[in-house]
Amino acid sequence: MSKKLLVILLMMAVMLPLSAFAEGMKKADTIDELVKMFDDRKCMECHPQIAKEWKESFHAKSVTSSLNGMRNFFAIGVPTEWERELTKAEALKCLDCHVPEINYASEKLAVEIANMIIKAIDSKSKSEVKKITKELSKLRVGCISCHNIKATSIAKGLMGKPVKDAVYGVNGKESPAHLTIQTNALRTSLFCAQCHGKYVAADGEIIMCNTLSGSYYNGYVANGGGETCQDCHMKKGKRGHFFPGGHDLEIVKEGIGFNANILGVKHTVGKWIPTAIVDIAIDNKSGHRVPDG
Amino acid sequence: MIAKDNKGTELKETKSYYEIGNDLDGFMRYGAWQIKEIVDLTLQPLVKQKEKYVFEFKKDATEADVTVNLYYYISGKKGDKIYSKSKKLKFVEE
Repeated sequence: MSKKLLVILLMMAVMLPLSAFAEGMKKADTIDELVKMFDDRKCMECHPQIAKEWKESFHAKSVTSSLNGMRNFFAIGVPTEWERELTKAEALKCLDCHVPEINYASEKLAVEIANMIIKAIDSKSKSEVKKITKELSKLRVGCISCHNIKATSIAKGLMGKPVKDAVYGVNGKESPAHLTIQTNALRTSLFCAQCHGKYVAADGEIIMCNTLSGSYYNGYVANGGGETCQDCHMKKGKRGHFFPGGHDLEIVKEGIGFNANILGVKHTVGKWIPTAIVDIAIDNKSGHRVPDG
Repeated sequence: MIAKDNKGTELKETKSYYEIGNDLDGFMRYGAWQIKEIVDLTLQPLVKQKEKYVFEFKKDATEADVTVNLYYYISGKKGDKIYSKSKKLKFVEE
């Protein structure tokens, strides 16, 4: 066997664990199958620092940290207000962002996950809640969510659907573990705005989960702001894949300036009323409105 | 903001910055699927929000403590104080 062929075979062996994510593949029927298809433990072996940052991020708990809101949509919004059946298409209105891998779940599994989210809130049994929440914690925004599944979404006309097995990144650094495709899409604020802004579902329904991107483009960029989401939430302070946001007081304080001048006077001639005059300035230095919900 | 004088007067003022999500009929809603319009009362990017307050104390007050706190609420249940400034004021006798 030639050395070249051996190297190719070895590369294929290394790439095998990542080879599951692709268009047209079999849909997962269980959470474990889905997790296995997008197993990013392999990514973490070679990128330990990124993995460490990500594990502390809200992306790493994007399902379990948002159970209440999703439960309300699945338990009240869809069946009661919209009078619709809870299907994968309805579940995707939350889960396409909270766990993009759900696109590769079977209809049955997607609905099962939505029902688990309802149970995680509604169940009276603590042990059941604990068990379901543990199972749901396997689902989150992981490496492949951004570096493949969502990587081409903002420019599908130009970039097409994500390439099977490829890892999209801004550096495009070649790796023996995977095919790397360089893209500037992941540098853009629009990439983050896919989910951190008004979300347009496949059927056209607009979900106002949060509206950060609106104020970013119309309030920040329109007034001369030049930094991207990644500039503040990743690059500054080497925050990397921790992506601190509203839950992190350090970045909250960084984004808000505050000054208060407190002056004591006695005013109104003849009556001399002791008075405090308080002047306050709150400076939103961030690239979007504060707060956003 | 809390202002207390040494004669028992306590004055408070609060200002909140937030958004209101409305449904198609103008009712305030919390569900992301229900919200189709926003009333934006938040702090806007690149804008310095200025507020001015005047607290009048009892005429015979000679001292007052004034504190301004800025809280950040990530949700309705959890708020953190992120900035605070206090000052003791002394009012000179005539």
